[in-house]
Amino acid sequence: MAKCDLSITLDEPSGVYPGGGKITGTVKVHADADVKCKGLDVQSVWKTHGRGNVASGTVETVTLFTGQWTAGQSEEYRFELPIAEWPPSYHGNYLNIDHYIEARAKIPWAFDPKASVEFLMQPTCGPEIADAQASVSAKMGMIGWIFTSMIVFMVFGAILAGCAGFFVAGAQNPFIFFIVGGIVTFIGGFIAMKYYLPKFLLGEVHCELKSIRVSPGEQVNGELKLQPRKNVPINGVTMKFVGKEVCISGSGSNRTTHSNTFYETETVLEPAGVLKPGVAKHFPLSVPLPGDVPYSIDLNDNDIKWSVEVRVDIPRWPDWSKSFDITVVPSGKQAVATTPTRTETTVSPPADDESGLTFAETASHIWSSKDDKEQVEMLVDAVNGLNFDIEAFVERRLLYSGEDDPHVYKDGYAVWARYTDPPLPMVLYVPHDLADEFEQAGRDVWSGRGTVVGWDSRHRRLQVKLLSSTSAFPG
Amino acid sequence: MACEAMRGGGIIYAHPSHHDSDSTTHMTRGTSTTIESPPLTSNRWIGAPAQRWASHNLSRNPFGELTRQERIELAVVDVQAVAQFISQPRRAYQFIGECGRGKTTRMLAITRHIPDATYAYLPEDEPCPPIAAGSVVMIDEAQRMPRRIRQAVFASGLPLVLATHRNLSGPLRRAGYTVQTERIGLQLSDSLLQQILNQRIHASRRDTEASVPEISLADCRALIRRFGTDVRAMESYLYDIVQQQVNSHGKMRFIDHLG
Repeated sequence: MAKCDLSITLDEPSGVYPGGGKITGTVKVHADADVKCKGLDVQSVWKTHGRGNVASGTVETVTLFTGQWTAGQSEEYRFELPIAEWPPSYHGNYLNIDHYIEARAKIPWAFDPKASVEFLMQPTCGPEIADAQASVSAKMGMIGWIFTSMIVFMVFGAILAGCAGFFVAGAQNPFIFFIVGGIVTFIGGFIAMKYYLPKFLLGEVHCELKSIRVSPGEQVNGELKLQPRKNVPINGVTMKFVGKEVCISGSGSNRTTHSNTFYETETVLEPAGVLKPGVAKHFPLSVPLPGDVPYSIDLNDNDIKWSVEVRVDIPRWPDWSKSFDITVVPSGKQAVATTPTRTETTVSPPADDESGLTFAETASHIWSSKDDKEQVEMLVDAVNGLNFDIEAFVERRLLYSGEDDPHVYKDGYAVWARYTDPPLPMVLYVPHDLADEFEQAGRDVWSGRGTVVGWDSRHRRLQVKLLSSTSAFPG
Repeated sequence: MACEAMRGGGIIYAHPSHHDSDSTTHMTRGTSTTIESPPLTSNRWIGAPAQRWASHNLSRNPFGELTRQERIELAVVDVQAVAQFISQPRRAYQFIGECGRGKTTRMLAITRHIPDATYAYLPEDEPCPPIAAGSVVMIDEAQRMPRRIRQAVFASGLPLVLATHRNLSGPLRRAGYTVQTERIGLQLSDSLLQQILNQRIHASRRDTEASVPEISLADCRALIRRFGTDVRAMESYLYDIVQQQVNSHGKMRFIDHLG
């Protein structure tokens, strides 16, 4: 049984709090016995619950009291905490997002009493959030382009090699020509069905949206143009607006995707009839979005996705269709700065080791962005290849460090460790000549020099390749 | 003031399903209906989320996904004997059983007794992830371990707990291990299932002084009749039931629609 009870009272318990603002209230403590409290912590957090794997974030933690409570004593402690700017409160079928104030009293040798109270948050940010995400995407764009080029090059090489192998094998056994020919015909037939048969009747179809970003209450606008080559009977031309919750539970082979369509509306642009040959048809696309729909959200395994699908339904023939992903963003009526995690953690990529950037600063930036995968990867990319003086608590040695891990030294091994402050998790690749030093370090602090080589996204660990003792301190 | 804050959209309550009689016209699949949205300042939209859970004294759907720590805390399994068995080197304990029967839950529960134990899940069709050393090494889906890595792990001599679909006692014995095997899911009693499911409900309780809807033994019998010993499938089914019924004002009934 706990030695004290905690409760939280918000100053505006039924209010809707603006994102990025402040929330105030009182933590009440009643002690049943004499209690030594190592810290009465209160924090502002958000958390998902529902079908998807849980995502959460902590905005700020403050310690309100440290000391002694005596039996029968009741105390009240005021707090003021910042509220996250994103994600907004949301309650759906598969996904729920709630914001909470949580209090916890750290009591030695006893269960820590806890209290929690939820509140509703409405974002006050304008489209800047999406802009920030877009700028991140732009920075990642070059990396993505290089990556895509490499994949295209590899696929092209594989096709060439496959063709060469096919002709060599076919020369020895002509039956292979029939098998491969059948497969190619099947794939070609599918592509023809999907893409070319609709065009055969409808001619070239142009379909575009003016903007794929829209706020609740606004309209999605665009245009569909086509000019049939012959008489085309149709069941209709439609535009469908769909909002979905997409949540993923489990991982690996236990990974399950749950999808719930919470909003769907279909607008008939042209009823059933016949499209005349040579007559150009223009369909303005315009669908209003209700003012209270939820925004697009991407929280790892918990997403709200919006899309628009335009379809020309042709009876007894493959339909022509095109789908657009839409981003629903706040209207920006009370536009303020973007989320602190995005603005505060921007790091200019230093040019070299002489940049003056310390590992403490690097670890601090990564730690503060740890819930934002894209941001972390961008930061790690910025410091990739730089050498740092590092202090780390060694946690455990790896029996196996991963098949796709090229950083392991020959005759070396890998350990899981964490930085001293903040406790950023790391993978340290230890060269053979440092093995003894690591064995002796046990689980104490180890100091040395290493190069940042990447980010283990699965285990959320910074990958650092340690420099061997001969090269760690040159000169 | 709260209503003013809602202008321009923001917090909404997306009605959950077709089954909800109170739902708006938002679900218009396959029709050309124009959506008529409710008033932006409607208190129903602001208050509904909190009210619907609060009226059943719940803070969330009890059968949704949990964090790993929550799974450890809520595991209804006795792994004392396993922890005792693997307290010596070159001891291996195998859990063999089909998906959804509780192999992973048992492994996570072991960390309650052995905090220094390490856990690795081997995904299908993906590279083998890092396997960390610990006072006990637990490997989930151990049948997927490539031979080379298996040899490295078995050569460590560390106590092992393996969840597997294939009996690995042969390679373990050849590596010098003493092996004990437990087949999971052959029996699941009504009372154990009731304990497992009600544990989750109680963990989602909003006010600890007030009561919450509970699953009865009759409910559990019906669930076992339908799903056998697949607890994961039962939880998935119950998630949808709770989601449908949480909007109603009546008592929550878990097996109303169970055939």
